[in-house]
Amino acid sequence: MKALLPYLLVGLFVAGMVWAVAVGRLPPADFTFTNGDEIKTVDPALVTGQPEGRIIWALFEGLCRWHPETLEPLPGMAESWEVSPDKRTYTFAIRPDAVWSDGTPVTAEDFAWSWRRFLHPGTASEYAKELWYIEGAKKFTTRDLAPGDPVEIELHERAPGALPFAEGEIIRGKLAAIDQEEGEEVYRVEVGGRVRRFRMSESPGGEDACRWVLYDFRHVGIRVPDEKTLEVRLRHPVPYFVDLMGFYPMFPVNRRCVETYGFPAWTKPENIVGNGAFRLKFRRIRDRIRLVKSETYWNRENVQLRTVDALAVKSNTTMLNLYMTGQADWITTVPTEVVPELLGRPQGDFRPAPLLSVYYYLVNTTRPPLDDSRVRRALSLATDRREIVEELTRGGQAPATSFVPEALSDYVDYTPAEGGRYDPDEARRLLAEAGFPGGRGCPKVEILYNVSESHKAIAELIMSQWKRTLGIDVGLVQQEWSAYLSARRRKEYQVARAGWIGDYVDPNTFLDLFVSDNPQNQSGWSNPEYDRLIAAAQHEADDERRMELFRRAEGLLLTELPAIPIYFYVSQSMVRPYVKGLYPNIQDVHPLWAIRIDEAEKDRVLKEEGLR
Amino acid sequence: MTRFLLRRLGWMAITLWVVFTVSFFLMKAVPGGPLDRERALDPQIEENLKARYHLDEPLVQQYVRELGNVLRGDLGVSFRLADFRVNEIIAQGFPISASLGIVALGFALVLGLSAGIVSAVRRGSAADVGLMAAATVGIALPNFVIAGIMIILLVFLWPLFPAAGWGTPWHLILPAFCLGAPYAAYIARLTRTGMLDVLSQDYIRTAYAKGLPGRTVILRHALKGAMLPVVSFLGPAIAGILTGSLVVEQIFAIPGLGMHFVEAATQKDYTLAMGLVLLYTTLLYTMNLLVDVSYAFLDPRVKLE
Repeated sequence: MKALLPYLLVGLFVAGMVWAVAVGRLPPADFTFTNGDEIKTVDPALVTGQPEGRIIWALFEGLCRWHPETLEPLPGMAESWEVSPDKRTYTFAIRPDAVWSDGTPVTAEDFAWSWRRFLHPGTASEYAKELWYIEGAKKFTTRDLAPGDPVEIELHERAPGALPFAEGEIIRGKLAAIDQEEGEEVYRVEVGGRVRRFRMSESPGGEDACRWVLYDFRHVGIRVPDEKTLEVRLRHPVPYFVDLMGFYPMFPVNRRCVETYGFPAWTKPENIVGNGAFRLKFRRIRDRIRLVKSETYWNRENVQLRTVDALAVKSNTTMLNLYMTGQADWITTVPTEVVPELLGRPQGDFRPAPLLSVYYYLVNTTRPPLDDSRVRRALSLATDRREIVEELTRGGQAPATSFVPEALSDYVDYTPAEGGRYDPDEARRLLAEAGFPGGRGCPKVEILYNVSESHKAIAELIMSQWKRTLGIDVGLVQQEWSAYLSARRRKEYQVARAGWIGDYVDPNTFLDLFVSDNPQNQSGWSNPEYDRLIAAAQHEADDERRMELFRRAEGLLLTELPAIPIYFYVSQSMVRPYVKGLYPNIQDVHPLWAIRIDEAEKDRVLKEEGLR
Repeated sequence: MTRFLLRRLGWMAITLWVVFTVSFFLMKAVPGGPLDRERALDPQIEENLKARYHLDEPLVQQYVRELGNVLRGDLGVSFRLADFRVNEIIAQGFPISASLGIVALGFALVLGLSAGIVSAVRRGSAADVGLMAAATVGIALPNFVIAGIMIILLVFLWPLFPAAGWGTPWHLILPAFCLGAPYAAYIARLTRTGMLDVLSQDYIRTAYAKGLPGRTVILRHALKGAMLPVVSFLGPAIAGILTGSLVVEQIFAIPGLGMHFVEAATQKDYTLAMGLVLLYTTLLYTMNLLVDVSYAFLDPRVKLE
């Protein structure tokens, strides 16, 4: 036994080596990019992040696709669409050659079913709000039921012959009353002429037990007149509704696949059925996702990449190392420290472009001295944004003079209102007017940020600018992510660092944040005039008037300043020049179906750098 | 011996239960949760989410549910990596961290033991001073500095190894070396101290007096005794090294458990964090048990009871 010990150790060592190598060497993919952190899931209904989006955009396709450069909606699963004169009814014609990766056709019913799943409270989709534009959809998700409402009751028992993860049988009726019995809600529902009682429970038991009592989905504005036609009725005109159809949460999933395997098993490469340009080959957690071209995709002739690797790499430095050694063709972000060097690269492969997102300071307007809008304006006027982007971020970020990013005006007819100037004299004057001449008597202002070197550097610089210009006492508070979020939610802060990435190309995605009942509005600021302007804009069918209403609202926002815009983000992508079809755009969305590799140039570039 | 093992296994079960209970309530006591995000949710949507993950139930009910699942061997679905069960994540990540760890340990043992023996035998020589200085530097330099230097030297200046990734023996060498270096340094110092201690003992003098060659005395007689502190150190070290290192895994983009560990903690991924804590406890306990058993083999004076 004793004599065996050294051999055992050597054996273990060799086994370790073999084990490590057993994962196997992969043939390199046609195109490799770093996708940031490991993705949460490939289920379109459950994700919110960019890395997830890049994969879902490849695996699934919505009614429309976004043009890789202009972001204009292009026909996708729908080959065409029509809008009614009141701009509230959309009719989509599903293309006849659209098929799932298992060969079955994609139908309008697939969309209706997927959206029902997306809106269902049991799915708990975080983006559900984006489809609440549809009549009745909000009620379906929130179960905000009142007597008289048509309801559907999902029983625990499935219909005979149903798939293992299908819904239970559905009974429809009219809600008569909701009673409270022993702390439980009991629903009295009129079904076929008689009143039955139901109670929601997790497991079957008792005659009245059911899974869900929901607003009847047949009363939600989604209709399927025939197999290839989808009709959607909105609560009010939504000019960007078609664009929204290209956003991944609205993508359809395959009913048979989901109901056969259930979540999460249906997302496994061997089970998943998609309708996008690529299929999922395999996933190695925190290593890579390999995608292969789909042979059933309707537009397969125009998809050039056969294999794509999305690497899960969290560290910016590692991304750059992979890029520099030719192991990645596109990296989504770079280390801030080397930005100036990268900007000067002769290859010209690092070109930051404006994004639809803003870095701002959220102000708690419920606490003195910041409850006085003059003080908030003074802080904004004392912030020298140029110094921040030139001394700190250095990657081509634009100083934010408005809350809605300027770059939006390249896509829609909107000119952001003017705000964030740098004017120290005016700042001092306003502070004096608010009762704190030269900062005397002004309570200390604290800046809260989540732990991060770059947030810290910016907060320090702004602190010194405010101290220098206004003579007030400024402090910094650094908190770990969860604590920081909860402080914001409970309004236990004075000024907090924040950021917002627009979901769609319209000023509403930014301005909607500060209406009184938006949960994101953690500033405590509530302004009836602002709420009225935003609501009016949302219901306005005329484009020009609508934009004017938004502009007035933004003007109000910038004088009241519950949020002080600091700068607009820019993309930090670095792309090899032989990668074609990857254009900068404000959503930083780069569909893989549009990407092509110039093999001759690739060979030349890599040889030149000694990588081949 | 059997009784000893059975008793220790019994204690292991109790330890695991205590660790589970303490971690469970600590996780829930920390502010924030897995559903936190910058994008504030609509209250109704947040309620739906909580119900989906049973986070709306009273704490005790959650505890009983989780304990029941763990006892059945089901660690649940990860919050953050929602497509995977915790069992799958461990099954994919652990072999990778473990194989990297074993190779790193191989480096550490070979380098550490030889350096320790050489500097103990040649005490006071230039070799001793040089090796011990290197060991001190090895302990003092954090992983990421060593990794940075290695990448600059062996990836960019002299392109021998790939920058990052996983899949071939070449991918393994740099991270294993960086992971093993501080352990090698520790082992070198421990070996040297142990060796010096043993070399001055009577039985070594006897061995020399019998006329045994120096090589035999050192490798057969002295080393065994000098290994004891190293072995005690190795127990917890192996548990640590097998469950992965955040820094090395992040720099070299290695899909091991180290990343999961830290991410699960910072993102409040309750299920994954719990699975990893239990795995680590099991490993640590097993390694310490093996260390105790190996004492009996290395030192005849130790009896297991």
